[in-house]
Amino acid sequence: MIMEQCSCCGRKITPYENAVHFPCPNCGDVTIWRCEKCREAGNSYTCIKCDFLGP
Amino acid sequence: MSEKKDDGLKEDFEEDFKEDFEEIEEEEVEEEFIIPVEEKPEEEEVEEMDEEIKQMFLSSGIHIGTKILSGKLRNIHLNHFSASNDFIYRQTNYGLYVLNIRRTEERLHIAAKWIAKFIEEGKTHDESSKIVISSVRRYGKEPIRKFSEVLGKNVIARDIRFVPGSLTNPNMEAYIRNVSLVIIVDPHADKQALKEAKIARIPVLSLIDTDDDLANVDLAIPANNRGKKALGLVFFLLAREVLRLIGQISSDEEFPYNREDFESKIVPIMRE
Repeated sequence: MIMEQCSCCGRKITPYENAVHFPCPNCGDVTIWRCEKCREAGNSYTCIKCDFLGP
Repeated sequence: MSEKKDDGLKEDFEEDFKEDFEEIEEEEVEEEFIIPVEEKPEEEEVEEMDEEIKQMFLSSGIHIGTKILSGKLRNIHLNHFSASNDFIYRQTNYGLYVLNIRRTEERLHIAAKWIAKFIEEGKTHDESSKIVISSVRRYGKEPIRKFSEVLGKNVIARDIRFVPGSLTNPNMEAYIRNVSLVIIVDPHADKQALKEAKIARIPVLSLIDTDDDLANVDLAIPANNRGKKALGLVFFLLAREVLRLIGQISSDEEFPYNREDFESKIVPIMRE
């Protein structure tokens, strides 16, 4: 099983947590994953292609 | 004999040292040529905003924040972590925080691209994905209603009440299937929608004022989310940009609605 990595902290995302994934708002080519903890804390994520800094 | 020997040794040493010194001097001279005189840091090119858009933003009061600066926004603003994520422009003498309208404009374009992508993805799939907009604030109800009307049936506005379970309970009548994006006006007021989006693992787009927190928000638009004109302008610009990106209109002038159409018609009650 391939476990996805969080774009904020780099942690492996477990299947049972409320993580979210979406296309990069700026370029739309890269899929960004955010783990539950980073989402709750409002930690920033970066796109590896266009360097977009969110949220 | 011994003096002559010493002299000979001295000469040998001097010759050796001379060679060494010459080598060192040559190296130093070469290094001097390699090192540039002074390297000035490149100044960031700041694109000037269009004067018309600037006046539109300032007249609607989209940049006006509150006296409170909370959570991550304070951390980013005070510690200068990143310029692109700093939404605060300055603090006035009487304590009111002012939002940076450059960031607002940037984020409006990015958010429009994001919404357009979700709408286009929905068209290609068999079961069309939906976008849900929620607003508990009174001045936000009319703009979101108009926004959903302009963008079509896949954009559902929860303007009267966001019924709990709309995103999480499939046994309910009000349950909405295949939701791909949730848009909220205020994370503090629309906390039910935010909570359900978290449980249902749906990305969230939100307007952020200076007193709001970034928890569970995936894309933030820094804007005044209390003003009647400000909310109208935000949804007017978003709707126009999304329609242009989808391809329903070719230019901004073809958009058949005005700013006033998106503004709330509620007249505030003046207290004596």
